[in-house]
Amino acid sequence: MGSDERKQELFKELKEGVIEYEEDRVTTAAQAVLAEGFDAYEGIMDGLAAGMEVVGELFDSQEYFVPEVLMCADALYAGLDILRPHVNMEGREAVKGEVVIGVVEGDVHDIGKNLVKMMFEVAGFTVHDLGADVPIDEFVEKQISTNSDIVALSAMMTTTMMGMKKAIVKLKEKNPNVMIMLGGAPVTGEIADMFGADGYSENASNAVSEAIKMVGALRRM
Amino acid sequence: MAMTPKERALNILAGKPVDVVPAFSGFGSVIVEGLKKHGLRFAHVHLDAGEMAAAAAATVELVGTAAAIVPFDMGVAAEALGARLNTYPHSEDILYPTLKDKYVHVADDIKMPENIATAGRVPLVCEAIRKTKELVGPDVAVGSWVLGPFTLAGQSMDLNEILKMTFKEPAKAEGILEKLTQFLIGEARAYVDAGADFISLREMGATSDVLSPRSFKKMIRKFSEEILASIDVPKVYHICGDTNMIVQDMAEMNPVVSVDQKNDIKASREKIGDDVVLLGNLHPWDVLTQGEPDMIAAAVCDAAEAGVDAVWPGCDLWPDTNVENLRAWVKAVEGTEPRRKA
Repeated sequence: MGSDERKQELFKELKEGVIEYEEDRVTTAAQAVLAEGFDAYEGIMDGLAAGMEVVGELFDSQEYFVPEVLMCADALYAGLDILRPHVNMEGREAVKGEVVIGVVEGDVHDIGKNLVKMMFEVAGFTVHDLGADVPIDEFVEKQISTNSDIVALSAMMTTTMMGMKKAIVKLKEKNPNVMIMLGGAPVTGEIADMFGADGYSENASNAVSEAIKMVGALRRM
Repeated sequence: MAMTPKERALNILAGKPVDVVPAFSGFGSVIVEGLKKHGLRFAHVHLDAGEMAAAAAATVELVGTAAAIVPFDMGVAAEALGARLNTYPHSEDILYPTLKDKYVHVADDIKMPENIATAGRVPLVCEAIRKTKELVGPDVAVGSWVLGPFTLAGQSMDLNEILKMTFKEPAKAEGILEKLTQFLIGEARAYVDAGADFISLREMGATSDVLSPRSFKKMIRKFSEEILASIDVPKVYHICGDTNMIVQDMAEMNPVVSVDQKNDIKASREKIGDDVVLLGNLHPWDVLTQGEPDMIAAAVCDAAEAGVDAVWPGCDLWPDTNVENLRAWVKAVEGTEPRRKA
């Protein structure tokens, strides 16, 4: 077992490797976390996710734009792929939700969806990714076959936003308890309310806090 | 003598005085009520020149805009370069066509057609331009548009790939953009030869919601300038989304700039000065589709007062927008004070 100081040093490497989009740096640090016997879950949350949080802030303050965020995401995945198989969930108050995610039919833009998916994966969700340009019925079928807690729908264009409304009606009809999240450029809080969704996210970075809140709500029901 | 709607539209684009500010735009303006009028299906109007022209002209007839615009979908260029188009023929909803293939990874993957004017649906759009002109007559303008090369690259290849390539392998990205630029020059020329009165260049993928102003200067500007320089009719440079940090670049690139609702028009007008023609910035959905006539009139006044030369929608009209709302937009625009008076 290494020292706490060493642990913090490695987590800082993970964090900064994500922020500076240095995949190799993250890979090296993630391997060291395992080799030196530190906790993989802490590495994900206090290293990788902490880094992505800063990336979200850099994006909000327009220091980073989409290409930078995508490169940070690659760095995060480099670490996640190494650490995730070694996460020990026993005795941990972890979120164990399942989510169906996809981009609605008529829209082929999947960058936002992929970032939200990443944050779900970081938070420990099992993600069923339907991809882009997905017919509404496929969301309904997948939700039923996986009994997922959450369905996350994404649309980048106003023109495909209307598909979300139909999907929500169909999903709630089959399973009134399912939580529905909307995301994408044209989606606002008012639109999410109007369509009857449970949560929305204007961008990838605040999706997970919204998702965690929703799963908490599910448990109390 | 009063000017014709076409004279007004072209004068606005030339930065010349008008007697009445015309209501028009440079983007798709097909509406469901126009389709109904002619018994047309949305999924099919993209594939037939006569239907496309009838739908474009129907908006002018029903709403009274000063220009008709074709085409409606964003897939013409990518399809002509080899991608398969999905028009969602099964759907009763309004779904714009998308491309099924992401086949470009390097510049050599782009197979330039020998004759761009006959590639894919380019000749169909040319035919639609000619037919639209017949339908709307000499007093109404007919406009067309092409995508910018970066936006086209985002359709022909994985968006993830081109975005990262701009950082990691800029020379490779530029090779792709240069080739797409050559295609788009040919596409725009075909539309001008078919009789388009004005052309909009829509580089919406280069919005600051996606790309930094630094990348815009480095990776976008020169290719857009190359296309703009090749067009010899009035031309509009349009980017939607956040344009506040690049509006000065846009104004340096072209004397006519169009932006959407995310732009702070008043601040932009201060940055670019009085001579540049600035168009925008009604929210096509929140204002024109969801709004009521009174609210639309107020939004038109706000945009005009903030400093646009003509109040344009920020993007394509949402087809399900009702005629009453669109007429309210036209009436309100025509009631605004011209920035340059005849």
